[in-house]
Amino acid sequence: MNDSAQSPRTAPSQANLRNLIVPLGVGGAALIILIIGWITNPAFLTKDNLLQIVRSASLIGIAALGTTFITIAGHYFSLAVQQTAMVCAISFAGTLSLGWGVVPALLVTLLLALVLGLVQGYLVGLGANPIILTLGAGVVIYGMAALLTDNKVVRTGTDIAEWIGRARPLGIATQTYALLLFTVLAHIVLTRTRLGRLIMLVGDNKQAARATGLSVMKATVASFAIASVAAGTCGIFLAAQIGQGRVDQFSTLNFEVIAAVLVAGTSIQGGQGSALRTTMGTIFIALLNNLLLLSGQPYGIRIFVMGLCVVLGVSFFHLLRRRTP
Amino acid sequence: MKNSLRLDPQITSRIVLVLVLFVLFSVFESSFATAANIYTVLEGFAFTGLVALAIGITIIAGEMDLSVGSMAAVAGVIAVSFAGLGLIFAVLLAVLVTAALGALQGVAIGLLRIPSIVFTVGTMIWLRGLVYILSGENTVVVPDLKMVEVIRHPVSVFSLFSLITIGMFILMGLFMNYSRSGRNVYAIGGGRMQAAAAGVPVFRTIVLIFTVSGILAGLAGSLVCLKSGSAIPHGLEGLLLLAAAAALIGGTTLSGGRGTVLGIALGAMTIRFVSSYINFKAMPYYAENLAIGALLILIIAIELLVAKPGRTAHGTHGLTRRAKQSAVHWEP
Repeated sequence: MNDSAQSPRTAPSQANLRNLIVPLGVGGAALIILIIGWITNPAFLTKDNLLQIVRSASLIGIAALGTTFITIAGHYFSLAVQQTAMVCAISFAGTLSLGWGVVPALLVTLLLALVLGLVQGYLVGLGANPIILTLGAGVVIYGMAALLTDNKVVRTGTDIAEWIGRARPLGIATQTYALLLFTVLAHIVLTRTRLGRLIMLVGDNKQAARATGLSVMKATVASFAIASVAAGTCGIFLAAQIGQGRVDQFSTLNFEVIAAVLVAGTSIQGGQGSALRTTMGTIFIALLNNLLLLSGQPYGIRIFVMGLCVVLGVSFFHLLRRRTP
Repeated sequence: MKNSLRLDPQITSRIVLVLVLFVLFSVFESSFATAANIYTVLEGFAFTGLVALAIGITIIAGEMDLSVGSMAAVAGVIAVSFAGLGLIFAVLLAVLVTAALGALQGVAIGLLRIPSIVFTVGTMIWLRGLVYILSGENTVVVPDLKMVEVIRHPVSVFSLFSLITIGMFILMGLFMNYSRSGRNVYAIGGGRMQAAAAGVPVFRTIVLIFTVSGILAGLAGSLVCLKSGSAIPHGLEGLLLLAAAAALIGGTTLSGGRGTVLGIALGAMTIRFVSSYINFKAMPYYAENLAIGALLILIIAIELLVAKPGRTAHGTHGLTRRAKQSAVHWEP
């Protein structure tokens, strides 16, 4: 029996306290960044810049929300997120360029993402280590996409999908609406549905879940399928936005998604975490990135700081989890 | 616990695999078994093997160091930047830095008792940032290409680089099999609670393996970058895949406690044979990674199918199981 399994039942007040610490911590850190940005850079705290931050965070956020399911199910994270997004961007752009309508192109692309997720989920469910498996899967997906496209840019060749990527109803980007929708959806699935509770329970204590007759395989496959479809959606948005897909897209998405999930305290040991935290984590990372970018910091510093945030974040939440029995 | 110098069936099967690949590739490709190509294969082996050993020993200890690729890149940039002050100095400095980074990482993981996968994915990103910062976001080059010639100068099919790697493999093999610390690595990988109960110094062993991992990755990174005369900030990114694949093909199991130095060497050799053969076919660069990725998934699938039913029935993967145990019960 591990500590996370006991805490919600035996010490509700402490669990509530901990549930508060996490959003307060991440929210506080985000607030500090906002204040620093406001003082140091007049261009930071403007409506346009903030909307831009949220827009660019939205694509990462959608993929990160999907990955949250993997993490909560107790399978760490996936190293194939960026490759899945990339291949879906290519699939979407490619099918459109063949003259397909938006809806069939969308359906085929999401189906591709679903199949990729199901296969990986099944292998992990059988007992494969998720990190190593997704590392291999990512390389295979990349290699297949590169071979099929001959490593060339695939253009949509049509602007019928442009609305998905570029429209701004009421001044807010479509991506931002999608992030909000996905956050709410993921939150409802995780907290209000049988599947969500199954994933939570399996992630929390696999042996106990199995002993009570819950299907560990179902939770595993579902979590990878959801993550893969979310990554695919992220790819579709990007393809629609820039009108093309190519294999070298999203070269840092895996890092950014892992950072967004981990920095906000979704527990890597499974069973704990929420969609809201991941969205907060995504926005936190995006704020930080934007502030560094506006103050002229090079790419290396931004990656360095992001890595440091992950190290400090996971260490902090790990200690927090151990300290509150 | 297994002894790498005694030939158990697992090692024998790996030796057979390497030999079969060699014979097959030699038959299908006439220039495969030439001295020039064996030299190239050994150069690749020198590099892949060291990093495979670096991640392999952490996997044997029931941990996993995902930062090996970034660690090697840090060493590469440092070694190339300081090459003007002498090769030995440059390599020693680079390895000293990565050893210190590895030791720090080990101390943090040991003290926090955090699953190393999570911690090292953070340091993997962080160290990559460090590589960009150290290199000033640009390719760094050695002052004179002639001075690094000594690293790759062929002596028969060997070079200084591959000889150093073979030396490190022998050293690590002796260490893992005949020293108390080496046996402790197997002990904490096989069952951490039992090892701690039996008086194995868990904390010290964890610091040790991450330090050694830093040293091996640093040695590989500094030598390979010096050899080519330059280090690029996004270099050595595919290294994690090669290293993990070599370790797994060599029979290191992800549940910890099992794996041998000889097996890892054979795994790295298998990978290099496959790479070399694909290079002969004049396929694009991504075909090589595709083949290794597919090989990795195949190995995972085989391991799953031949695994004892008892193992899959308990927890899916050993690392999670142990991570949960170690987070709760384990005392350093």
